[in-house]
Amino acid sequence: MTVKTDTKSGLLVCQIEGDIDINSSPDIKKAFDKLISKRSPKIVVNLSGVSYVDSSGLATLVEILKNMRAYGGRIRLSNLSPRVKGLFEITKLDKLFEILQEEEEAVTTFI
Amino acid sequence: MADKIFIKIPSEIRSIKNVSSRILADLEPHGLDDDHIFDIRLCVDEAVRNAIVHGNKSKKRLSVSIAYSIYPDRVEVEVSDEGAGFDYDNLPDPTTEENIMRNSGRGVLIIRKLMDRVEFRAPGNVVRMVKYLK
Repeated sequence: MTVKTDTKSGLLVCQIEGDIDINSSPDIKKAFDKLISKRSPKIVVNLSGVSYVDSSGLATLVEILKNMRAYGGRIRLSNLSPRVKGLFEITKLDKLFEILQEEEEAVTTFI
Repeated sequence: MADKIFIKIPSEIRSIKNVSSRILADLEPHGLDDDHIFDIRLCVDEAVRNAIVHGNKSKKRLSVSIAYSIYPDRVEVEVSDEGAGFDYDNLPDPTTEENIMRNSGRGVLIIRKLMDRVEFRAPGNVVRMVKYLK
């Protein structure tokens, strides 16, 4: 699993590649803790490279959202595969997260 | 009658993947689509993780036992731990407003949604899951 960060239109875009699960969750948390410690106001997370997420991975994403909200930050997810999107729907996390189909849309409409 | 295959693993997180990988390898001749592979992998991982973390409280000396059978139309997987069980009929709903931000509690919901049949056996340290393959 890798987390790559980039800046697009002044926004931080993170691309996660690999599984988001009980094994990779500590590393993902560590990568986002760095961004959160800098109080990044808006982050787009592109999940096109993620084909598998388990409940630990979902919990990690919820924790990142919670930590960002604590200082008024916002996070958007984009490019979810249908199966990963289905998991967000089952757990109703699609109501908690801002989920957009494409990264470009997530960035350009992030006001 | 399909053969029943038994696996016993220590209560270690790194052992979780070995179980789902082995079951999926045995299912390979069935030519499952990606949706079935995803669902079976996820639910087996969730059940084994629950057994390790919640059932056996991650005590390495305790084991998790898995028994599975592959039939032409379905796979049956039973996961048992050595813990005291839990009240599987009265779990907090992780999708409600007060629970949605919690860091745990989604595993059983995912299993119940993605498997075709799910039964817990009292006191709650055994879960049996069935997934139809077509």
